Amino acid sequence: MKAILVLAPLLGRLRGALLLTLLLSLITLFAGIALLGLSGWFLTAAALSTAGPAFNLFAPSAGVRGLSFVRILSRYGEKLTGHDATLRLLSDLRVWLFTRLFPLVPLANRFGRGDLVSRLLADVEALDTLFLLALGPISTAVLAGALMTGVLAVFLPGAAAIYALFFFAAVLLVPIGLVLVSRRTGAELVAATSRLRQSVLDGVDGQRDFVLFGATDLATARTADAAGRLAAARRKLGLIAAIAAGLVQALAAAAMLGVLATGLSALEAGAVDGPLLAGLLLAVIASFEASTMLVRSATRLAGAAAAAERLEAVARTPAAVLDPATPAPLAPGGEVDFRSVRFGYDPDHPVLGPLDFTIRDGEAVAIAGPSGAGKSTIAHLLVRLADPQAGAVRVAGCDIRSVSREALRARVALMTQDAPVFLDTVRANLLIGRHAAGDADLWHVLETVRLADFVRSLPQGLDAVVGEAGRTLSAGQARRLCLARTLLSDAAVLVFDEPTSGLDFETEAALLAELPSLARGRTAIVITHARVPDSYDRVLSLRGGQVLDQPRG
Amino acid sequence: MIDKPKNVAPGRWLNRLAAADRRLLAVSLGLPLLSGALVLAQAFVLAGVLGAAIVEHVELQALWGSIGLIGLLIALRVGLAVFGEVAAVRLSEAIKLDLRRTMFADLMAARTAETSSRSSGALASTVIEQVEALDGYFVRYLPAMLQAAILPLAFAIAVFPIDWVVGLLFLFTAPLIPVFMALAGWGAEAASRRQASALNRLGGHFADRLRGLTTLQLFGEAERETERVRVASEELRVRTMRVMRIAFLSSAVLEFFAALGVAGVALYVGLTFLDLVTLRGTELTLAAGMFCLLMAPEVYNPLRLLAAHYHDRAAALAAVAEMDSRLERLPGVAPAVAPAPARPAEACAAARLELRDVSAATPDGHPVLSGIDLAVAPGRHIAILGESGRGKSTLLEAIAGLRPFGGAIALDGVPLAAVPESGLRSYVAVLGQRPHIFAGSIADNIRLGRREADDAAVRQAAHLARVADFADRLPAGLATRIGEDGLGLSGGELQRVALARLYLRDPGLLLLDEPTAHLDSRTEAAVLDGLIAFARGRTMVVVTHSLAVAARMDGAFCILGGRLSVLDEPGLANGKAGIA
Repeated sequence: MKAILVLAPLLGRLRGALLLTLLLSLITLFAGIALLGLSGWFLTAAALSTAGPAFNLFAPSAGVRGLSFVRILSRYGEKLTGHDATLRLLSDLRVWLFTRLFPLVPLANRFGRGDLVSRLLADVEALDTLFLLALGPISTAVLAGALMTGVLAVFLPGAAAIYALFFFAAVLLVPIGLVLVSRRTGAELVAATSRLRQSVLDGVDGQRDFVLFGATDLATARTADAAGRLAAARRKLGLIAAIAAGLVQALAAAAMLGVLATGLSALEAGAVDGPLLAGLLLAVIASFEASTMLVRSATRLAGAAAAAERLEAVARTPAAVLDPATPAPLAPGGEVDFRSVRFGYDPDHPVLGPLDFTIRDGEAVAIAGPSGAGKSTIAHLLVRLADPQAGAVRVAGCDIRSVSREALRARVALMTQDAPVFLDTVRANLLIGRHAAGDADLWHVLETVRLADFVRSLPQGLDAVVGEAGRTLSAGQARRLCLARTLLSDAAVLVFDEPTSGLDFETEAALLAELPSLARGRTAIVITHARVPDSYDRVLSLRGGQVLDQPRG
Repeated sequence: MIDKPKNVAPGRWLNRLAAADRRLLAVSLGLPLLSGALVLAQAFVLAGVLGAAIVEHVELQALWGSIGLIGLLIALRVGLAVFGEVAAVRLSEAIKLDLRRTMFADLMAARTAETSSRSSGALASTVIEQVEALDGYFVRYLPAMLQAAILPLAFAIAVFPIDWVVGLLFLFTAPLIPVFMALAGWGAEAASRRQASALNRLGGHFADRLRGLTTLQLFGEAERETERVRVASEELRVRTMRVMRIAFLSSAVLEFFAALGVAGVALYVGLTFLDLVTLRGTELTLAAGMFCLLMAPEVYNPLRLLAAHYHDRAAALAAVAEMDSRLERLPGVAPAVAPAPARPAEACAAARLELRDVSAATPDGHPVLSGIDLAVAPGRHIAILGESGRGKSTLLEAIAGLRPFGGAIALDGVPLAAVPESGLRSYVAVLGQRPHIFAGSIADNIRLGRREADDAAVRQAAHLARVADFADRLPAGLATRIGEDGLGLSGGELQRVALARLYLRDPGLLLLDEPTAHLDSRTEAAVLDGLIAFARGRTMVVVTHSLAVAARMDGAFCILGGRLSVLDEPGLANGKAGIA
């Protein structure tokens, strides 16, 4: 629950809008209470009146009409300001998440596979509506209860304590109890969900192996078991929530009956008159409007707290690599040197190394080896997406841990294996490589990757929107656009991780052969599992965690 | 049985799902209605108590019975509501469980190539999050909808005998609310649809950038992109609020009618008491007037509830659309492929393998292999060499029955298509290039080969595949957890674990794709010793780059230009290459 405090600064920034929303929803609720209370009073007074036409009609009828209008207007205003605040919170939350996540890339290596992005999005969504659906209604209910208690204290003192006791038990104790009682089941739910996710991922990723070993029934049984546990946890939570809702209803009823009984005895004693009693009782009934959605709000709050905890855990993860306190300047040049480098994602179980090799400035080198051999890891070590457990990586003679990452990444450009085409224009996708690039540069680089004709054929040319996993582009065009982006950069060392994945055999061979010349004298490191063409100066093959140097004749 | 979403409208599909358990559905829908109906009795008794005490000055002593009755009625309503909700939750959980099981069985029954081309993360989120999004539809929306459809009318009719004017007021305003809400909504709807798509686009933009975080960071785009996210969200907010100003009119309409109902009843009844309005023949008692007033908010409450839960419906429909698109290539729901019976692998005789004029193409239609002829005598071991991307793995997959092919493949003279799936799987053992490691211990992963294998058998297989070489150095040995959240193994270690799986089986034909690709030459030789020992008396086809592997086989072939040719390299396999 404490994790929700992460949001305190974000909510603090929206103080004004949130307070206004709270005020308006309080006015709405109170207008409703007053409307029903006044109606009850008026109706009873009229029934008891012997004055007939002389009865002062003006005040009650004006009051009833006025309260109706206040309620309509304030309800409208409350919705408007509440959603405005929520949308502001949504924007702030996303910015907050972005700032926290950037230092943690690559996320997949650190938080497991699965769909981290979907999980993050779901968590952000749970927090978006925190105020609108949880904090707001709960605060309104508490405030309305306090006001109603005050009114009772003035007109029907005996009933105030009873009302307050039951009402606050309903709006405070029940939600708190709900959160506490459901905590363990909530944890079971999270565990069951992650087991189910694991088992679906294993089933989909390992489908071939399950089929080959005639074990699809095993996978299906595992998933059914995990889904069953999830359902059981949900049923338990549902039962808890239903009982909590019942309790709220019962407590509200107890408050109403308490006010009724004290009111009737006060009536007998002559302490209140009939119309006032009827008015107060109806007002009390109207005040329960505040409690109808409380259980849902409490559930939301618990969900939001869990989401905040997960986001905070992600945000609190220490960055895998840190900049040196006083970065040394990076000497010019594009030489790359690995010395006795050892690495494993589990530090106690290094799977790579010792790696020893040097790539000279301007050389075109391929790193080959079967998939899963650790080729991508070499690229990650070179741009400090991870640091080796032993040994040193040097660029232009400088240990890359002694220079700033900004300087390093300006020198070494990496096209990752999963480099995406962003949902944006062709131009924006390219400019990520080099901001200062002019149209002529863009066309030139498109020409070199043989995409220029295609882009020219698009109605908006460079301003055509592409992306969403490159849906408007074929797999090959998407790879080439990423390639163009990397080539456009000013980096002296270009690293391409499987630049031809997803391409057919002929295109792959042609593109791989061309890459050294496209790099135009810069150091080019191409990671591939395909056959390496003759245009490369050297092939480093990675096998058993070690590098074998194969110079070309 | 569940239909594929695309065949029917999403709403109808959801309702059909709900009808899966009619008893639970009836309870989850019926009890809230019953509980709602008891409101009438409760209001009636309460109004009676007030009338008796205020007008007739009945003593409190005489009213305790009625007050107790109110308490009883409320307790009953609470009980009904709780039972109704629990039933709704059970119904929803049963539906979701069934859906998840069916979806997963479908995924497992789909063609291997189709499943592997899709993101497992996205599929997992379909099975988990999208299915979960249906929950609110069954638990909240359906009961709320039925209550909104029935209760206001029922209340209006019940009030008629007490006072026909109030009855008419309820009868007209309650059904009018949805109409007016819709009218106010229509104006906003087109705009709001545009809005929803803008919101989706922004969500898409946000997810898109999250997925590309590494690339953005590497190119030093972090700050600029963060700013862009802020600007885009801000633009969306401004645009959304413009639409919301109209959309929220519908909630103002609801409020207008609810207030009109209360104020109308109060004024009408009050004026009747004062004899300023005389629409009824008989005199109105305070109890009757109070009853009308107490019912006024109740008439509009079901509508309020429906409005509050309406987005559950929207969320469920969106989820169905999402499932529809994610699962579009699934075959319709059919009984899942009959699972292979878990039985001890039978002792199999070595297989005779024949290929005649076999051809194959990539999924997008590029021909990879053509006119492949090959005959392997029982017990022979052959190697297939060739550069990457020349179709070696494709050939192996065709023999394993994992992909479509042209021509004929026969095992012991029986065409591949005629061999039953379970028989094929126990007769033919396959080691792919990227074996999947499941979350679990090393021993669990090896035991996939034969589930009932005892520890000794697992240890022996681990030894033969040289898994023991690295596992013995780990503190937990074979019990070390690997896979997701477990120890990261190197490529060579993974391959050896996968090889150990095969050693628990007793196949007649072994098909291996690059079994030693990740190994240094010393480990490669040791692993090969184990492999050759295991393969004695079995037929084996090994696809490999490694001449060291090829040299230990009885013969070697090479794929060039989509065709198979005998490799006759001096010194290789002592000239035994040829028809093996």
